[in-house]
Amino acid sequence: MIPVSNFLYLAAILFAIGLSAVLLRRNALIVLMGVELMLNAANLTLLAFARAHHDLRGHAIAFLVIATAAAEAAVGLAIVVGIFRTRHTANIDEVTLMKH
Amino acid sequence: MSDFPLHLIPLLPLVAAALNLAIGRKLPRDASSLLAVGSVAASLLISVVAFSRMAGGEGAVQPLHETWYTWIATSSFKIDAAFVMDALSGVMTLIVTGVGLLIHIYSIGYMSHERDYARYFGYLNLFMGSMLILVLGDNLVASFVGWEGVGVCSYLLIGFWYDKEYNAYAGRKAFVVNRIGDFGFLLGIFLLLTAVGTVNFGELEGKRTLLSAPLWGKNVAFWGGLLLFVGATGKSAQLPLYVWLPDAMAGPTPVSALIHAATMVTAGVYMVVRLHIFYAFGPSLGLAPHLGGAVMIVGCATAFWAASMAFAQTDIKKVLAYSTISQLGFMFVGAAGAVPSSGIFHLMTHAFFKAGLFLGAGSVMHAMSDRTDILEMGGLRKKVPITHACFLLYTLAIAGCPGFSGFFSKDAILGSAAGVDQVLPAWHHFGLATSLVLLAVAAMTSFYMFRLYFLVFSGESRADKHVAAHIHESPPVMTVPLAVLALLSVVGGLVGTPWHDLLGEFLGAPPEVSIPWQNMLGGTAAFAAGLLGAYLCYAGGVRAPVQRFAKGLPWLYDLVKNKYYVDELYDTIIVRPTKLVAHGFADVFDKFLIDSVLVGGLARLVDGIGYLVRRVQNGDVQRYLATMVIGAAVLIWLAARPPADFAVEVQGTTVTVVAAGTGRGVPRRLRYCWRIDGADKCESERPRDSLRITPGRHKITLRVWDADWGTSASRSLEVHGS
Amino acid sequence: MNPVRATVEIGPQAGMASGALILFWVFAVIAVAGALATVTRRNAVTAVVCLVGTFFAIAAEFLLLYAQFLAVIQVLVYAGAIMVLFVFVVMVVSRGEADPLWKLQGPVTKTVAVLAMGTLLWRGWHALRSFQPARLDPPPTGFGTVGGVGQVLLGDFLFPFEAISILLLVAVVGALVIARHHHDKDKAAQP
Repeated sequence: MIPVSNFLYLAAILFAIGLSAVLLRRNALIVLMGVELMLNAANLTLLAFARAHHDLRGHAIAFLVIATAAAEAAVGLAIVVGIFRTRHTANIDEVTLMKH
Repeated sequence: MSDFPLHLIPLLPLVAAALNLAIGRKLPRDASSLLAVGSVAASLLISVVAFSRMAGGEGAVQPLHETWYTWIATSSFKIDAAFVMDALSGVMTLIVTGVGLLIHIYSIGYMSHERDYARYFGYLNLFMGSMLILVLGDNLVASFVGWEGVGVCSYLLIGFWYDKEYNAYAGRKAFVVNRIGDFGFLLGIFLLLTAVGTVNFGELEGKRTLLSAPLWGKNVAFWGGLLLFVGATGKSAQLPLYVWLPDAMAGPTPVSALIHAATMVTAGVYMVVRLHIFYAFGPSLGLAPHLGGAVMIVGCATAFWAASMAFAQTDIKKVLAYSTISQLGFMFVGAAGAVPSSGIFHLMTHAFFKAGLFLGAGSVMHAMSDRTDILEMGGLRKKVPITHACFLLYTLAIAGCPGFSGFFSKDAILGSAAGVDQVLPAWHHFGLATSLVLLAVAAMTSFYMFRLYFLVFSGESRADKHVAAHIHESPPVMTVPLAVLALLSVVGGLVGTPWHDLLGEFLGAPPEVSIPWQNMLGGTAAFAAGLLGAYLCYAGGVRAPVQRFAKGLPWLYDLVKNKYYVDELYDTIIVRPTKLVAHGFADVFDKFLIDSVLVGGLARLVDGIGYLVRRVQNGDVQRYLATMVIGAAVLIWLAARPPADFAVEVQGTTVTVVAAGTGRGVPRRLRYCWRIDGADKCESERPRDSLRITPGRHKITLRVWDADWGTSASRSLEVHGS
Repeated sequence: MNPVRATVEIGPQAGMASGALILFWVFAVIAVAGALATVTRRNAVTAVVCLVGTFFAIAAEFLLLYAQFLAVIQVLVYAGAIMVLFVFVVMVVSRGEADPLWKLQGPVTKTVAVLAMGTLLWRGWHALRSFQPARLDPPPTGFGTVGGVGQVLLGDFLFPFEAISILLLVAVVGALVIARHHHDKDKAAQP
């Protein structure tokens, strides 16, 4: 069947792409999307190993991850909206009040 | 061991001082002065009791000892906080407490308008306590405590009105010059402690052999005595450390009377008499006659020097200050001469009439609205009769009028000086020469003192109209002490007449030298000469002879008036360089090195580092994340390396390595290093996992490492090939 | 440290030509392409749509992993709910302003980070190459079904399951509070 490692490679690549979105993009929404991508990559890894070890606990954890991701996305987007209200921008470079 | 609670004598004034200084401001004035005067009176009372106990027994004097507690005890010496009242310290104590009491009473009147009333009495009591410790101490160190104490009190009291810059300066000057002397004193103590092992007065008497031991060309006693004398020079205002005393007149007049006439400045004389075995020439020759001679020369020179400066002074207190220096010179000559008790005798009479002179001057200043310039005085005999009468008596005493106390004590000094020739004839009339010089100084003394008298009291008033209107006699609280002192100045000499030297006998040094009564003629002549000269020059005011002199030799007049420019000399040689060094240190070392470089530099360093570190926080969250990612990557890298574990199987002549993970036809890149039988080099580094060996026993060390991950493992095994 | 000690048997190169593998590759390509697209779009709406596509592809991959239940959940929750939320927010927030793509702050650090990740990937590749198991037997039936996962969730993971509901509640309330319209007097009270 499909070697598990394939999935692991895929997950790694997706994770890397998501990470670069988080690090390199300026639009807050794109950053959040990168985070979601990273979470998905993690899920993929979990499920791959669950498949390899025949252990359903990986599924359960992935499930919980998805739920958490939903919560996090909601709150994160709410924050973006809130910031947008006052600053009228979604560009994270312009939200630097905490800067020295 | 305690024969008598001697410690009470200094303790009571000290307690009163503490109270006055701590809470005196809140007390009513009468309470302060009562406290102060009362404590001194109590001290006097106790001293009298102790004195009578000591001296009252028929026959010899019984000194009273009291060891309060052991202060310092080391393996080489022991110093106690102990007191002794023998004849010498008994006389001193009575003088100090008696004259001190009179001055305290006087102060009540003199300082009645003073704002810092309690502080004044506090300091005055502090002084009394210190002085009493000085004279009652039974060893040099205990006395030194008092020695330093009076120095401090002198500073405090001279600079009493510290708002004026000059007063503070005068106080500082006194203290610093004193300190120089004290340094010598300390060195003397150290020397004695190391050479002899004790500084206890009683014990020193018994250490003659040790004291005579040769040291640096002379003997121990010479150097010890010399160093101690340096201290005495400072405290008793002799050459070259006398410069502080004239400036010390900046303090309140009763202070000058007490400290700079009667007590503190006499501490040096006391010390010389105490240690007469070092200095004196008789009764039995002192241990260091050259030292004694040196002391006499210094005293003589000082007496002359100061007397000459008194000729031109126009400040009433300054005249008396120079007079004090001069008379102290007399005392030293007497103390170091053939009859040490003469020094004490003159000390006593001097205390009477000099204190009286100062208090009288205070009374005059009181009348003259605190003016001190005698050129502006005159004619006061009519306005302040009591003061005038007392002052006249004092002047007669100091000038050596026959029958008065000063006459006899000066006589005794002259005799002591001349007597040296009898003890040490090898010195070619050294004593005679000294006594002749002193005789001349006696004449000078008479002259300038009568000059003072005439200018202040005789003739018509030269004072300003305003001032003249206010001239009034002092209140009884001031005039009664004056009268008492006047009485003492008149009769005080009777204890030391040449016919029956009560004091000398009492002090335990019956003169073995005979003093011819002809000496008294010399004294009388000196007195008369001085009086005549002063009369001619100054009766009724500055008269023609003086003016002709001043015009004729202006340079001499200026020189003397300006105190021979000694102060200026000291300033240039000593004061300025010291200040320069101090400023140099302050600027370079303190301000630059420590402040700028060390402290400031440290701060700047921290600031700089902080600046650099702050730049990490630039608000860019993504950058923070990036740093995290790098950190995480490093961690994962380090933690997730697969080990290079392996298992070994031996089959026949083949050793097989079973290492983790070769799969899918793509071998893991492992390196092998086979070492057979402890060889140094790897037998095989083939990237292969088996090795063929020869039969027999072999010891194989196998090391496997993973080039990709940088991990390695090694194992040794015994292989039997079969 | 437990070495991944598997039997070293050079068996037939398994799965080279099976259909599942082809499917894997197809969806893998879609997923990666979609991810790359998402990350590089300027227009946020386009990025969202691409991400949705990626999620679908990932769901397919899940299916290949015998994770049926989760595949469906992925589509429902991720692609369905979360991405819809993203769409809404993008429409509210996005102003179509140009996002200067390549003007980075602190480019050095970020590049280093990306490279670090890349290096890890490379190493991981190597590691995986040495450690992959050669054969996989299919999991038992019931693996990955609702029932199976449900049993685990309500069994071993009961507490986290319940806690998640609280988490969701908190998230809902929080999102509401943060994102709501503040009235005038609240506006004045804002910093």
